[in-house]
Amino acid sequence: MTQTAKKPVSTKKTILRLLLYFVVLDVCVITLYPYFAMLCTALKSREEIFSGGTVLPITAIWSNFIDIWSRAPMARYMLNSVMIAGGSTIIAMLCGIPAAYALARMKFKGQTAFLGFVIVSQMFAPVVLLIGIYQVMQTLNLTNSILGLVFINAAFNQAFTIWLLRGTFMGISADMEQAATIDGCNRIQSMMKVLLPVAAPGIVTTLIFIFINAWNEYTVALCLIQDDLLKPLTVGINTFNGYNIIEWQYLFAASIFAIIPVVILFMCIEKNLVSGLASGGVKG
Amino acid sequence: MSTKTPAAPAGQQAQQSSPRLPNPGTKRFFRTIEPYIWIAPSIILMAIFIVTPIIKVFQLSMNKVTRAGKLKGFNHFENFTNIMKDPAFSLVLKNTILWTVAVVVISTLLGFILALLLNNQFKGRKVARAIVVFPWATTLVIQASAWKFIVNTDYGTLNTLLMELKLISAPINWTSSPTAWFAWEIACGIFVTIPFVCFCVLSGLQSIDNSYYEAATVDGAGYFQKLFSITLPLVKSSLTVSTVLNIIYVFNSFPIIWTMTKGDPANHTDTLVTYLYKLAFYNGKQGEASAVSVIGFLILLVCASVYMIYTLRKGDEDL
Repeated sequence: MTQTAKKPVSTKKTILRLLLYFVVLDVCVITLYPYFAMLCTALKSREEIFSGGTVLPITAIWSNFIDIWSRAPMARYMLNSVMIAGGSTIIAMLCGIPAAYALARMKFKGQTAFLGFVIVSQMFAPVVLLIGIYQVMQTLNLTNSILGLVFINAAFNQAFTIWLLRGTFMGISADMEQAATIDGCNRIQSMMKVLLPVAAPGIVTTLIFIFINAWNEYTVALCLIQDDLLKPLTVGINTFNGYNIIEWQYLFAASIFAIIPVVILFMCIEKNLVSGLASGGVKG
Repeated sequence: MSTKTPAAPAGQQAQQSSPRLPNPGTKRFFRTIEPYIWIAPSIILMAIFIVTPIIKVFQLSMNKVTRAGKLKGFNHFENFTNIMKDPAFSLVLKNTILWTVAVVVISTLLGFILALLLNNQFKGRKVARAIVVFPWATTLVIQASAWKFIVNTDYGTLNTLLMELKLISAPINWTSSPTAWFAWEIACGIFVTIPFVCFCVLSGLQSIDNSYYEAATVDGAGYFQKLFSITLPLVKSSLTVSTVLNIIYVFNSFPIIWTMTKGDPANHTDTLVTYLYKLAFYNGKQGEASAVSVIGFLILLVCASVYMIYTLRKGDEDL
């Protein structure tokens, strides 16, 4: 950068640069606009919202952020979301790590078929299968339960888990594990002690990605959970979105609580996730 | 560990004597089945929670089904013919195709351009990338409620903002017709899909060796020449992955439409997934709803097989 700065810069380049800044700035403003609108609305009074005409709140009513906790079982929703997302992540990883390991390090009959199935399974979004899912859950007595959602989220995230982890594992040379095997480690030991620590960044990325997916899941929870106290945040915040009246200020105040943890997590993995997706994709 | 070594031979002997097969054979047998043990948990999980529902849906679509979901025998594809006869179905199908094509095409185009921009070196690039990722991380329900609020005629912030900026003098009714609502839903869909495309392309762009561009510059190639003969071919694989995944996600996307209009009025903003949700859980027509699911699969199957063939072929090249 310093080298280019020393050179005389042509007007054309300056204009292009300004244009670049202008466009990127616009994109950022548009992207952040809904969040800005949500925050402003969350700080307004009901009357101010429905009379319209103001962008920023006349007086910021911070108590909206406190009221939601008593107006709806927000703490419960939050806890449910944490349990669903956490549980799904654990199960998805426990099933996905061995599978990804086998795909990356072993050769077996049906490998391609299994991989093909993993890819095709992405095609079946839970929404399309809801009727089937509902019936299976009824048989297993898991409708209206957090455990049911945990399993569903874990299963539907298997494809991504296996995909990302297989890419990660394949990017790591098997030499060290072989050395460990010669030293007397069995497969499980060499995986736990050698491969997993090296693959940690990829694993953390996958972990967070599943957590976010499960946290943001809406459709299955909407369909399976009837009990208000078992709802996750995504479904629960609709308490403020009634048939006759929408309590926008509360809806958005609650939404902000639902967004913040996820956005922070996402920004942590953004860089790794993308290269993971790409390497998984390119390496097939 | 060293203290335990004396015990090891004894253990090995015990292991050798117990199975009927000689040791090398057992070992080979274990080698053959070992991978299957490793993939077993994953297979069991997916078998119960993905494959069984798939089978159930196919079963339901072929059978007469009671409101309680009990099967009452094969009914000669009556569920399918019933669906085809429903005048709403062709509208829903048209909406689904419009929704999928519009969202995927426009977001791919804009996401690609945005990725090209963000791939430049400039101050604040990291901040810009972090901001662009926001819509991807936000759950669709919340994103959709925010847009539903923004475009509201009476108190939406879009009208307020435009009036403050003196661009308009009176509130505009942004959602005067079902078509307008549907357009806003598509806009919202595009808005949340752009980041995914953008980051897939960015990862492809970052793997391109700079020397290609330098060589092309020496040869006197212009910006667009470089774009079409270097950049585009090299990010093609990332772009294919993101496009195919997007087709599947967008086709199956439920929360945006459900939050903004619930498919109303009169199916004018329904897509296949909201339509089948209403059929199954509001009208109790599980057989017909399953038929819609199956039709959806068949449409997506074409897309997914293209994806599978593409990625597996890619994999073989690498192996």
